[in-house]
Amino acid sequence: MAESPARTAFAEEALTHLDTLYRGALRLTRDPDQAQDLVQEAYLRALRYQHSYQQGTNMKAWLFAIMRNLFWDRFKGSRKEDVSLDDVGEFVLYEKLRDEGARPEADVLDKLAASEVVTAVEKLPPLHREVVLLVDVEGFSYKDAATALGVPIGTVMSRLHRARQQLQKSLYDYALESGIVRGNGGHQVQT
Amino acid sequence: MKCQECADKLDRFVDRELNSTEILEMQLHLEACPDCTDHYEFQSHLKRLVKHSCECDAAPPAFREKLRQILS
Repeated sequence: MAESPARTAFAEEALTHLDTLYRGALRLTRDPDQAQDLVQEAYLRALRYQHSYQQGTNMKAWLFAIMRNLFWDRFKGSRKEDVSLDDVGEFVLYEKLRDEGARPEADVLDKLAASEVVTAVEKLPPLHREVVLLVDVEGFSYKDAATALGVPIGTVMSRLHRARQQLQKSLYDYALESGIVRGNGGHQVQT
Repeated sequence: MKCQECADKLDRFVDRELNSTEILEMQLHLEACPDCTDHYEFQSHLKRLVKHSCECDAAPPAFREKLRQILS
């Protein structure tokens, strides 16, 4: 196919968002090879449907929407039912740690390994994981995240809140298991 | 502003999603409330931790080049 300047310009601009798409795909699939396949397919689809992209709108959000829709089609069979996070309740790591005599930031957050945080994010159900990826990791506004995910802003907010509750619960469980804190009102472990 | 209202708006404050009036109200409350300030700083720290932990994965250079070839 002859390469047109417009097509080249579009592809170049789209590729400036590659890291965001790759990270998102990696966190969703949890597999580097699947992530590359997913991102490649997303870019091919984006190029095919570039006429549907409106200049001046958020290309990163548009590309992410293509990628995550492919993810759901391919890996989840379009079934977007998700594990409910309602049963986590209002778990607030900060208050939990303070109740146990720890200094939440200095004693706990500073001691969490990046790999454990990634693990906690990857444990989130996909519908909640993708909101954390967009808002917390990629810095999307609620509005842009809502566009990328095809949901109302209120849904972004509620999923994000539940995801953070679950994330804090997972990190607390890890802190307990690894001895960073002791449960049941004990004091933090000095290391 | 009461502490409960501050807690209710904390996500949006940390995410910079409040309007200027709400931001000012939050700032005034935080200046006067050490407990809410600690909670806010913890939530901000946690958000930064998630970002820094997850954003270190960049697309492999060979994959980037492969895509560039495919898309051209």
